[in-house]
Amino acid sequence: MAEPTSDSPESPFLPIFETFRKEIDEHHERRERVIKASRDITASSKKIIFTLHRLRTIGQSLPDHIAKANKPYTTDIATKLTLIAPDLQGQNADRYSRQISSGLQEYIEAASFQYYLETGTLLTYATAASNVRDLCTGEAKVKLGYEDYILGLYDFTGEVMKFGITAMATSGTIPISGPGRTLLTDLRALRAGLEGVRFGGSPVAREVDKKAEVMRVSVEKVEKALYGLTVRAGERPKGWMPSDGDGGRGEGVEV
Amino acid sequence: MSVQNAMMESGLFEDLQKKIDEDTQVKDTLREIVQQLEKQDRATQAILSKAHSTPSAELSPVLQAAQSSIENEVQSIQRLAEVASKHPYYRYNYAWTREMQSAVSGKHDLLERRGLNTQPGHLLTLAEVTTLMQIPPIAPTTDSFHLTPEEYLQSLISLVDELSRLARNSVTLGDTARPLQISKFIKDVHAGFQMLNLRNDGLRKRSDGVKYRVKEAEDVVYDLSLRGLLPGQGKV
Repeated sequence: MAEPTSDSPESPFLPIFETFRKEIDEHHERRERVIKASRDITASSKKIIFTLHRLRTIGQSLPDHIAKANKPYTTDIATKLTLIAPDLQGQNADRYSRQISSGLQEYIEAASFQYYLETGTLLTYATAASNVRDLCTGEAKVKLGYEDYILGLYDFTGEVMKFGITAMATSGTIPISGPGRTLLTDLRALRAGLEGVRFGGSPVAREVDKKAEVMRVSVEKVEKALYGLTVRAGERPKGWMPSDGDGGRGEGVEV
Repeated sequence: MSVQNAMMESGLFEDLQKKIDEDTQVKDTLREIVQQLEKQDRATQAILSKAHSTPSAELSPVLQAAQSSIENEVQSIQRLAEVASKHPYYRYNYAWTREMQSAVSGKHDLLERRGLNTQPGHLLTLAEVTTLMQIPPIAPTTDSFHLTPEEYLQSLISLVDELSRLARNSVTLGDTARPLQISKFIKDVHAGFQMLNLRNDGLRKRSDGVKYRVKEAEDVVYDLSLRGLLPGQGKV
């Protein structure tokens, strides 16, 4: 770097920059803490989802072994949220919302998936927000933005699809989620609801568009699998799985 | 509520849509003001750009025009501050941050050019520039509109970019004293940036460019000194 060659080696502007130094350091520290926590929350949420996929039915409370297996992950999420809650207060809630977003989305995906498997219904925004609040054991609470809730729901449709495909492949029927309802009618209702939500020109809109496309594919996968079940009803032994050769290219067996 | 859709509470998505619509309305209001500010700022930059080819002696009317253009911007900023202060600060910050940086750098630019003729090397502090542009001061506990340190520093980088260009153009116009002042000024700003621990973000990327501006300005001074063209150097 260029050595100061002028007669006054000390820059007269240093005091000006000095005032920002602490503020900028603190900003980066907060930001990095939030990013780290967000990553950990994402990882733990994924593990919860993974365990939940061992279930085969909708509408029953979690068996002990599943609840037990997921306990450490839920604890981890609670710990991380509590840890960064003080970093997300006041102005900083929006300042670092992009950094915490992916963690919260993944948590919503896991929480709504579990809620759906237990009750056959959709976790509401109000309940999801209060869950997030309650996970923070300290005085400071993390606020769930509605954008993260919606983005989490999009990912949740993917889990419902996977769950449905596995259940159909192993049991030969589509899971029933309530009176007159199946996993597919629920998935369609979700799709209709989510597609009805219009984001203007906000930064979230692009993310939503991408996820909407994935969701449409998910719904179609279940529709194709159900079509396969209907067409071949009675001519296939229990436990048989669709394979290629029927134009489905094995799409129906995705795990 | 229809029977087959007991999967979700009725009105769930409609409620979310309401929240989005409220947000969109705020954004639309802000966008309208920011667009106005951006237009005025482009006018300011155009005038300041003209100053690159104006000899010092004739500079005054150009700077005067820049000053009144900035006054227009100040009015827009006040409208912006009024609307933005009603909402969480960082929620919509992205809507105006670039335009604010540019507006502030225009002000810096103007004052440096004026200053270069009288008292070279004064750098406006964040507090000074916000006072001059009638931007409310930073209030960390409220959502009141303000200029963030990042925005202030970004505006300094724009200023440095402009000044290094001015160093060369001054020589073209026959002013060989300015490059010395500019070179010192940029070096001092560079020393300031080196005090900050910037991580990988927008500010870091742009501040990396400051060292090249230091070199550019030094090169101009070097060229002049080599040929004995610096003031007081008395041609050999």
